[in-house]
Amino acid sequence: MSRTISIEPVTRIEGHARITLQLAETGEVEDAKFHLTQFRGFEKFCEGRPYREMPALTARTCGICPVSHLLSSNKACDDLLAVTIPPTAEKLRRIMNFGQLVQSHALSFFHLSSPDLLLGWDSDPVKRNIFGVMQTDPQLAKNGIRLRQIGQSIIEILGGKKIHPTWVVPGGVSDALTEEKRQAMLAMMPDALRIAKETYAFFKTLVPKFKDEAEHFGTKPTMFMSLVTPKGNLEHYDGLLRIKDAQGRIVEDMVPPRDYQRIIGEAVEDYSYMKFPYYKPIGYPKGIYRVGPLARLNNADACGTPFADVALAEFHMLQEDSGPITSSFHYHYARLVEIIFALESIERLLKDPDILNPRIRARARGNRSEGIGVSEAPRGTLMHHYKIDDHGLISWVDLIIATGHNNLAMNAGIKQVADAYVDGNDVKEGMLNRVEAVIRCYDPCLSCASHAFGQMPMVIDIQDATGRVVKRLTRD
Amino acid sequence: MKALIIGYGSPIRGDDAIGPLAADRLDSLLERGELPDWIEIQSRHILTAELVEDLKRADLAIFLDAAADTPPGEVHCRALQPDATALSTMAHFHDPRELLAWCEALYGKAPTAWLISAGGAEWGYSNCELSDTASAAMEQMIGQVMARLGLAKPAASATTGVMERA
Repeated sequence: MSRTISIEPVTRIEGHARITLQLAETGEVEDAKFHLTQFRGFEKFCEGRPYREMPALTARTCGICPVSHLLSSNKACDDLLAVTIPPTAEKLRRIMNFGQLVQSHALSFFHLSSPDLLLGWDSDPVKRNIFGVMQTDPQLAKNGIRLRQIGQSIIEILGGKKIHPTWVVPGGVSDALTEEKRQAMLAMMPDALRIAKETYAFFKTLVPKFKDEAEHFGTKPTMFMSLVTPKGNLEHYDGLLRIKDAQGRIVEDMVPPRDYQRIIGEAVEDYSYMKFPYYKPIGYPKGIYRVGPLARLNNADACGTPFADVALAEFHMLQEDSGPITSSFHYHYARLVEIIFALESIERLLKDPDILNPRIRARARGNRSEGIGVSEAPRGTLMHHYKIDDHGLISWVDLIIATGHNNLAMNAGIKQVADAYVDGNDVKEGMLNRVEAVIRCYDPCLSCASHAFGQMPMVIDIQDATGRVVKRLTRD
Repeated sequence: MKALIIGYGSPIRGDDAIGPLAADRLDSLLERGELPDWIEIQSRHILTAELVEDLKRADLAIFLDAAADTPPGEVHCRALQPDATALSTMAHFHDPRELLAWCEALYGKAPTAWLISAGGAEWGYSNCELSDTASAAMEQMIGQVMARLGLAKPAASATTGVMERA
């Protein structure tokens, strides 16, 4: 008799999800699904709002990634204004983006994934948490807290607060950087870089221990999508879209973000509130691709900062062939490389003589009816697409979230891990932890990714403060 | 002596803003020199891991928050103990007891800690606006803070007690 194993909640990720493993009578895994169980509705309730509210509204999708939404949303607004923001404003936005990346990657590595990496997937689940890490390697835990503090401090120094800062605005940023703030951020860089490099060196010593996981954690061939600079280098704020296949051949290159709909389509399934983006020319679901740190490093020809370039070369040696690194396990490695790149870049930008320039905002009214903003969130490519009416009110919104791009790949990954490790006749906790762990490789943000678009039937009741239903939206 | 006061809560969900707004009130007193400089005040949306770096330097920590399970307008003051079992399900915000446990585990000590919470009346969408009930409760919260700092007597209507571990 077939049966289903349900892993709920999936632990040590952001947001709420469930994994189901469908077992055959023989105990083999027939199917595996990753279910996003929370619904948000941003793409619907933003309709009718002034477009200038979108950065503040969409930033509240998440408490981990508000900066990413702020940036993509403001870029979409820049597009609606039809402005090119001043160079200094772009540099400042980049610094904030890098601060966000540092704190987010630090959280993922040090707090969410290190319990598995240090203590082992089969260790006692009661101790396989951050307190177990503190007992085993207290310095590692302290380093994680400090690195996250630095990333958050950069966001707060620039934006006035750590969560949902409002400093990024359509047309640029609201305030120029002062010398005092510049020095405050520069003072943190030596400590931050030391921690980042030490952690990277430490993790390199651990990698050989994970040969089995590297072979089974999401290694199915997929394409990789990310932004790159016009020269093909690592890019997180602006740039053009590049897609490579599993053999490293370029499939799409230098695609302007405004043309993303030519290459990216979205599907829905009835078992999850997360959409399923796919590469349109191939179709769904074969048009599977991955985004995020692994994809960015696979796609980049170079980083452009000294230590990160050395680390990138070492990253490419994780596999014996010369193609892209295909194992999702190596997202962890890629995150550490990106932390180093982000810190080196922050330091370089802060030392740029132009960084204190008071020209930080281009002003205009809405000049286009459609605006698209794309940036690289810590978890991958983040797309905001708005349409407005003649009064500047939002008439349509599409948000394609980093974690959403990885949806097909995450589903394929849990099936692969379940096939390799789960014995339905003798289910052990460590087996199920490995299934969760492949999801953790992607560091999903499910609060961000819970958007529905398409044919999913639903009923939404909008209630006033007394609980009275003032509006009901239905879709069959 | 070093005291850290952290007011936390969502500024856009009605009375959940009472924590950060109370912290802002205290911060204005600090800026006017009406509070001693051994006090540090933070106004936050949520409690995050890097606060451990600040807690490790404090002798006394006071957390300010709204409570949905407390009658509207009531102010409770409870001592907090480090509790490693108070693990949050979402990694980007934490229970204060968990943060105290992190501090103790990493640095061998945690500050004496209190949670001063006020029962909220309204939780709808707003922007840093409190109900009249919560506004009145904030005065009591500040009175309790002063008492914990040894700067004033507590208000008569506040209750004290030790938070039981789950």
